[in-house]
Amino acid sequence: MTGPCVVYVIDDDSSVRAALDDLLASVGIRVLTFDSTTAFLAHGMEDAPGCLVLDVRMPGQSGIDFHRRMAGLGIALPVVFITGHGDITMGVDAIKHGAIEFLTKPFNDQTLLDAIQNGIGKDRDRRRAVAESEMVRARWASLSAGEQEVARLVVQGLLNKQIASVLDVSEITVKVRRAQAMRKMDARTLPDLVRLTGKLDLDGLS
Amino acid sequence: MRARLRLGLRLALLAGVMAALFAVDTATNYEVAAAVFYAMVVLNAAPFLGRRALIRLSAFCVALTVLSFALTPKGNMPIGLANMGVSIAAIVMTAWLILKMDAARQAAQDAHAKLVRIARIKSLEGLTTSIAHEINQPLAAIVTSGNACGHWLAHDPPNLDRARQALDRIVRDAGRASAIVARVRSLTRGEPPSRTVFAFNDAVGEVVGVSRGEIERHGIELVLDLAPDLPAVRADRVQVQQVIGNLLLNAIEAIAAGPARARTIHMVSEVAGGMVGLSIRDSGIGIPAGIRDHLFEAFWTTKEDGMGIGLSISRTLVEANGGEISAEPVETGGATFRFTVPAVQQEKS
Repeated sequence: MTGPCVVYVIDDDSSVRAALDDLLASVGIRVLTFDSTTAFLAHGMEDAPGCLVLDVRMPGQSGIDFHRRMAGLGIALPVVFITGHGDITMGVDAIKHGAIEFLTKPFNDQTLLDAIQNGIGKDRDRRRAVAESEMVRARWASLSAGEQEVARLVVQGLLNKQIASVLDVSEITVKVRRAQAMRKMDARTLPDLVRLTGKLDLDGLS
Repeated sequence: MRARLRLGLRLALLAGVMAALFAVDTATNYEVAAAVFYAMVVLNAAPFLGRRALIRLSAFCVALTVLSFALTPKGNMPIGLANMGVSIAAIVMTAWLILKMDAARQAAQDAHAKLVRIARIKSLEGLTTSIAHEINQPLAAIVTSGNACGHWLAHDPPNLDRARQALDRIVRDAGRASAIVARVRSLTRGEPPSRTVFAFNDAVGEVVGVSRGEIERHGIELVLDLAPDLPAVRADRVQVQQVIGNLLLNAIEAIAAGPARARTIHMVSEVAGGMVGLSIRDSGIGIPAGIRDHLFEAFWTTKEDGMGIGLSISRTLVEANGGEISAEPVETGGATFRFTVPAVQQEKS
């Protein structure tokens, strides 16, 4: 396992919780177990890539219902379902809604561990993408209004001369602002700038 | 017996009305359309006549109308012809409407019966699902703990402490699984019978009473031959009635599944050797050779939509009440099912 990560297990059955806790601990994965979705929400999530192992059938809110609500709650964790009674329709449905895997108890440990690794990997990628886009957003915010205007037109493929005439400023000013924008966005080349600004919704940003 | 008497009386009354109608229709002029009232006869006979009998009766009424017309000596011939036409139309329309309504009612009843059966199967499905879920929890824990144990042992050096903890959990969860199995078994074994003393024939009569509709719907003749001087029995009345109902339903289904030749169910109660017995003989499809040994096994059925638990449950219930159940084919076709329950010893009372 590369870097810290955490697996959340939500299952109402204490035997299953204890066994999963031990299994994941035995392969060196940090685990947090909860007996209900409510307990999980009360605890909250840690700032590390993770994966959610969710029992389908629980008193109170079922795993399936919780999975549907997760997006609304701002929880983007990948989900691995485990269930005591395999139902193909339910499994297909869960996968369609984005679950990593739908496992019927008793399950093969390697299948579960693979699914969890897969989930953690996806979460790590997602977190990286989010972090990067936040970073780019912060850099963009550090540009002055004039620099943003110039950068916007540069990305659209306009030449300095054309930009100068569109903005009605001197070509020198365009060159200075362009250099500042490149420096502040940490872009060494024009393709760099295009890639970075591509992560922003430039039409929406001012 | 009484039902038959009532049926005979009704038929006699209808025949009388028809004779009177015929006499009036023949004796009066063409202008008097007495034959229209045959429609009333058809309407009144419908509730206790089968489909075929009703068609025959209607045809007979039409024939009588025509005959009356031919025999009527006087009156206006054209009006007489018209009246006869109207009468025949009334009879035919009445019969046709009754048959249509009957078919619709039949379809509704079939749909209902199907629903009841589906509901029964669904509830069993729900039961097995929850049993599977219950058992799979500790099983999943056992498998997972076993794997964890393996991982701890594979560590270098092996983590014996954690491995032992995993083993402890496995033992505990295995105990839990077997406790669940025991609980499920006690569930299917049902409540222990609560035995009371009751009159056997009365219990039979009640079951027959609620099954009457189903029996008549299939055009089956039920012959009840209940011994009048039976001793009371000591058993769980509800369970005994469940068995009777189950066997009766089987008999009806066996007849319904076969060709429509003799359609009778013969129920005989008797006492022998301190036991009261009931045999239910049907003229249905009988018991195919080779399946007799499986008859009372659970989940063994030849019926397309059956679950194969009726006879198995019946045997469990009869034996729980200290009786026996058996089945044998009837040489002329059909099958006889017989079960016994203990009689209350006479000399004690």
